[in-house]
Amino acid sequence: MPAPLERMTDSLLLLIALLLPLAGAALLWIIAPAGRDAVRYTALGVTLLTLIAAGAVVYDYTQAAPLLENPAEALAVTDVPWLTDGLLEIHFNIGVDGLGVWMFGLSALLFVTAVLVSWEAIKDREPLFYAMLLLLEFGCLGVFTARDLILFYVFFEFTLIPLFFLIGIWGSEARRYAAIKFFLFTLAGSLLTFLGLLAIVLWDYQRSGSLNFSIPELTASLADRPMPADMQLWVFLALFAGFAIKVPLFPVHTWLPLAHVQAPTAGSVILAGILLKIGVYGFVRFSMALLPDATVTCTPWILWLSVAGIIYGALVALAQADIKRLIAYSSVSHLGYCMLGLFSLNVLGANGGLLQMVNHGLSTGGLFACVGLLYERYHTREIKQYGGIARRLPILAFFMLVFTFSSIGLPGLNGFPGEFMVLQGMFQRAWQDFTQLNQSMTLIIAVMAMSGVVLGAWYMLQLVQKVFFGPLKEPELHDEADGDAHPVVPDLCLREILALAPLVAFILWIGLRPNDFVPAFDRSVRPVVAGTDAVLFQRAMARQAALQATESTPTQEKIARVR
Amino acid sequence: MFANADTIRLLFPELVLVLAATAIFVGGTFYRNRAVWHLSALAAFVVAGLALALTPLSKDLYGPVTHDGLSEALRWLLLITGVFFTAASWQSSSRELAPEQIGSIMLAVVGAMLAAAANDLVLLFLGLELISIPTYMLLFVGRRDRDSAEAAAKYFFLSIASSAVLLYGLSFVYGLAGTTRLVGDAPTMGIRDAILLLGDDPRAALSPFALLLVLAGLGFKLAAVPFHFYAPDVYQGTTSTNAALLATLPKFAAAAGIVRVVLECLPIEAGHAWQVLLVLSILSMTIGNVCALWQTNLRRLLAYSSIAHSGYMLIGLTVAQAGAAMGGVDPTYGGVSALVFYLAVYTFASLGSFAALSAMGTGGREATSVDDLAGTGRTQPLAAAAMAVFMFSLAGIPPLAGFWGKFTLLSSAINLATSAEGATSHWLIALSVIGVLNAAVAAAYYLRVVGVMYFQSGVGPNRARTQPGGALAATLGCAALVIAIGIVPTYLLRVTVEADDGVREVLIQGPATAHRPVETPTLAARINRD
Repeated sequence: MPAPLERMTDSLLLLIALLLPLAGAALLWIIAPAGRDAVRYTALGVTLLTLIAAGAVVYDYTQAAPLLENPAEALAVTDVPWLTDGLLEIHFNIGVDGLGVWMFGLSALLFVTAVLVSWEAIKDREPLFYAMLLLLEFGCLGVFTARDLILFYVFFEFTLIPLFFLIGIWGSEARRYAAIKFFLFTLAGSLLTFLGLLAIVLWDYQRSGSLNFSIPELTASLADRPMPADMQLWVFLALFAGFAIKVPLFPVHTWLPLAHVQAPTAGSVILAGILLKIGVYGFVRFSMALLPDATVTCTPWILWLSVAGIIYGALVALAQADIKRLIAYSSVSHLGYCMLGLFSLNVLGANGGLLQMVNHGLSTGGLFACVGLLYERYHTREIKQYGGIARRLPILAFFMLVFTFSSIGLPGLNGFPGEFMVLQGMFQRAWQDFTQLNQSMTLIIAVMAMSGVVLGAWYMLQLVQKVFFGPLKEPELHDEADGDAHPVVPDLCLREILALAPLVAFILWIGLRPNDFVPAFDRSVRPVVAGTDAVLFQRAMARQAALQATESTPTQEKIARVR
Repeated sequence: MFANADTIRLLFPELVLVLAATAIFVGGTFYRNRAVWHLSALAAFVVAGLALALTPLSKDLYGPVTHDGLSEALRWLLLITGVFFTAASWQSSSRELAPEQIGSIMLAVVGAMLAAAANDLVLLFLGLELISIPTYMLLFVGRRDRDSAEAAAKYFFLSIASSAVLLYGLSFVYGLAGTTRLVGDAPTMGIRDAILLLGDDPRAALSPFALLLVLAGLGFKLAAVPFHFYAPDVYQGTTSTNAALLATLPKFAAAAGIVRVVLECLPIEAGHAWQVLLVLSILSMTIGNVCALWQTNLRRLLAYSSIAHSGYMLIGLTVAQAGAAMGGVDPTYGGVSALVFYLAVYTFASLGSFAALSAMGTGGREATSVDDLAGTGRTQPLAAAAMAVFMFSLAGIPPLAGFWGKFTLLSSAINLATSAEGATSHWLIALSVIGVLNAAVAAAYYLRVVGVMYFQSGVGPNRARTQPGGALAATLGCAALVIAIGIVPTYLLRVTVEADDGVREVLIQGPATAHRPVETPTLAARINRD
C-alpha cells in the first residue's frame, strides 16, 4: 500500500492529465495568431505532457494495485461535490481502476500519434483543428476515469462535439452527411442509455433513500438489493441502445464505415482506437456489473449479434475497394470479438475481450494512421490504383505489415493472446452451460467466431499484398505532375516514424508479455463475473428443481402402471 | 384593499420598470436618442434588480401578490432576460422608434413579472395582457411590409381569442370558488381552499370546463400544440428581437399561470390535468420537432423548436400534476423545479440564438434563411461559436445548460415513474422515452444549422455587419450564461428547488379548517348588498 502522500500526488497527476488538454485547447485559441508552427508544436507539447502524466498514473497504478485489499478499488481518486442541492449528489469523481486504466493510457498515447499524423495533412484552420483534437482528448480521458454516473455520461456525450467538427470540417467529400449521421446515430442511442442510467439511480433512491450517482457505491448497493428481473431487462435494453451503437454491434453499425471513411486521419485513429471502446467499456461497467440478471437473459442474443458482426464485417471487408472502408469493416468484425469475450461471462473470456479492446486500439489505430500517410502521398484510397508500394515506401510497408499481423492475431504480437483468450473463454462457456441446447449453441457460435479469424487473415493479407507487393503501380499524381516523370514520393520521415513506433512497441510488449497487462483487467472483472455467475447458478438450481418435479410424476405413474 | 403597503412593497421592482417605461414613452416624443433611452432602460432594470434583491420571501403572506420561491425565481430570470432584450434591440430599432420599442419591451417584461408574482386571478390576467398589448405594438411599429402586417394581424386576433378563452375559464374558476385570491392565508380563503371544500357540491361538475378552458388559453401563450399554429408565421414575419420576445416572455407567464391556477387551485381536477398535460406535451414535442426538420427559414425553424421546447416544459408540469394527483409528502416530484430550470436554460439559449441571428446578418439585413449562415464560422467566429453553443445546448448535449434541463426533467419523470404504479408509471415512462427520442430528432436540425455555419463556405460577398455591438453583446452574454450554467448548474438548481418547495408547501396543505365553505354570492345578491 503506497503512502498517503504518494496517493495524493497520483490524484494530482491524474487531474493534471485530464485537465491539460482542456487548458491546451484554451491556450491554442490564444496563440492562434502566432502561426501554424506555434499551434502545432503547442498541441504536440500538450499531448506529450499529458502522456507523461498519464503514464505516471498508469505506472503507479500497476505498482500499487496488487497490494490493494479490494482489488476492484480505484486509485488516484479526486472526489469533489459538483451539483448538490441537498438531495442530488453529483460529484466530480475521477480515478483509475483496472477496467479503465489501460484504455486511459492508450488514449493518452494515441493522441500523440493523432497530432503527429495531422502535422502536414491539416492545412486549414489549424488552431481550431488542434483545439478540437485536445477537447476530444479531454473527453476520452474523462470517460475512462469518471466514477460518477453523470460525469461519465457528460464525458461520453461531450466526445461527440469535437469529433463532429473534426469530421465535418476536415473530412473528405461526403463529410457533412457523415458527421451528422455519426452524431445522430450515437446521440439517439445514448439518450436512451441516459434514461436507463437515470432509472437505475432513481430505483436505487427509492430503496436506499439516497440519491447516489457514484458508480462504485451504486454497484455495491445494487449487489445488495438487485432490481427485479423484468425491470432489469428494460433498463438493460435502454443501456444496450446506446452502447451497442457505439461499439457498434451488427445491425446498428452503418454509421461507422461512413464516419471512418470521411474522417480525417486523426479522427479515424481516435474513433477506431478509443471511441468505439467506450461502448464495450459501458457494457462491462454498467450493463454487466449493475444488471447481472438481464445480462444472463440477453447473453444468447448478444452472442449471436456479435458473431453475426464478426462474419458480416469480415465478408463485407473482403469486397471493399477502398482501403479505409476495408479497415472500417474490419473494426466491426474485431469489436465482435470484444463483445464475444465479455459475454462469455467467465473471467478468461472477459479478460480476453478487454485486452482485445486495447489491442484493436493499437492495431487499427496504427492501420488508419498508415492509410492516412499513404493517402497524404498519393491522394487516393482505392486499392486497385496501388501495387508494389513496398518498393517505393519500405518503412511504411514495414509498419503496415506489423499492424496487419497484429490485427490478424499472429502469435508473438498482441492480437494473439487477446483472440486466444476470447475463443478459449467461449469454449469454456460452452462446457459450462447446463442444457444441451445452450451448449451446442455456444459451441456453434465459438466455431463460427473461429472462422472470422481465417476471414480476417484473408482480407487483411489480400489488402497488403495488393497494395504493397507485386509489380509497382503508383496512382497518377495529377496536380503535381509536370512532365512525364512520376514525382518522387518520400518515404516516412522521422516524425511519422515516431508517430507509429510507440504503437509497435506496445504491440510487441503485449504480444510477448500479456501478463503485464491482463492482471489489471482481471482484478476488476472478477466481481462482475461473480455477479453473473451467481445468477447462472440460481437459474441452474431452479432448472434442476423444475426438472426433478417433472420427472417425479411420470416415474410414479410408471410405478403405478406396473403395479 | 387590493393595493396595501405590502403589495406595493412586493411590486416595487415592477413599479420601477413601469415608471421608467412611461418616462421613456413620454420623453421619447421630445428627445430621440437611442443611446440615452437604452441606457436608462438598462439602469431601470438594474434598479429593479436591486429592489427585487431587497424584497424578502413572503412565505406566509398571501395577498394579491406573492413573493414565494417560484415568483422569485421567475422574476429574477425575467429581469436578466430584460437586460438581454435591451442589448439585443439596440440595432434592430431605428433611431426614431427606439423609445417606443424599448418602452414596450420593458412593459412586456413587467407583464411577465406580474404574472409570475400574481396570487390573484385578476392580476394574473392583467399580467398576461400586459405582455400581449406591447407585443402588438412591437410587431407593428416600424415595419411596413406584407409579412409583418400579416404577422401582427395574426398574432393580434389569435391572442385576443385566446385571452377570451382564458378569461372564460377563469370565470369558471371564480364561479367554483367565489373568490379571486389563488392561495389564501388565515383570514381570507383562497380558491384552493374553497374548491377543496366543495365536496360533492354539484358546482364541482364545472371544474373540467375550467381546466380545459384555462389550459387552452395558457396553451396559446406557451405555444403548445394544438395552440401553436400562429408561432411560425408570426416569428417569420417579424424581427429576430421580437421573435425572441414572443418565444420567451409568454412562456414564463403561461408556466406560472399553469402552476398557480391548474396545479395549485384545481386540486379536484389533478387526475385529469396530468393526462391532458401529458398529451399536450407529447404532441408539442413531436409535432414541433418533426415540423422543424423541414424548415429553411431560421426564424421558422426556431419557432417550431420553441414549440417543441414547450412540450419539454410540459413534462415538468405533467410530473408535478401527476404527483399532486397521487398526493403524499413530496407531491411535486421535482416537476416544478425541472420546469423552472428548463425555462431558464431554454430562454437563454433561445434568446441568444435570435440575438445571434440579428448579429450575423450581412449588409444591414438579419440572417433569415439557413443558407445565410453559410461560412459564418469563418467570417464571424464569435457569433457563430455562440450560435453553435446555443444549438448544442438546445439539443441537450453536455456540458451545456440544456443538458441539465433535460436531466432535471427526465429525472423527475423517472422518479415519479419508479415510485408510482400501474398506468401512471407506464405513461410517464412512455413520456420520457418519447422525450429522449425527440431530443435525437431535434439534434438533426440543430446540427444542420451548425453544419451550415462551419462546414460550408459562404456564397457571395460575406461582409460582416457594420456594427453588431448590442446584439453581439447579448449573444455573448447568453452564451456565457449557457456555458456557465452547464459547468456549474448548482446555483440555478438551488433557486429552482426553492420554487419547488414553495409550490409543494401549498400542495400539502389541506383545506384550512378555519374556513367555512362560502356561498358564492350571486351577482344580484352582491349588488343588493352593496
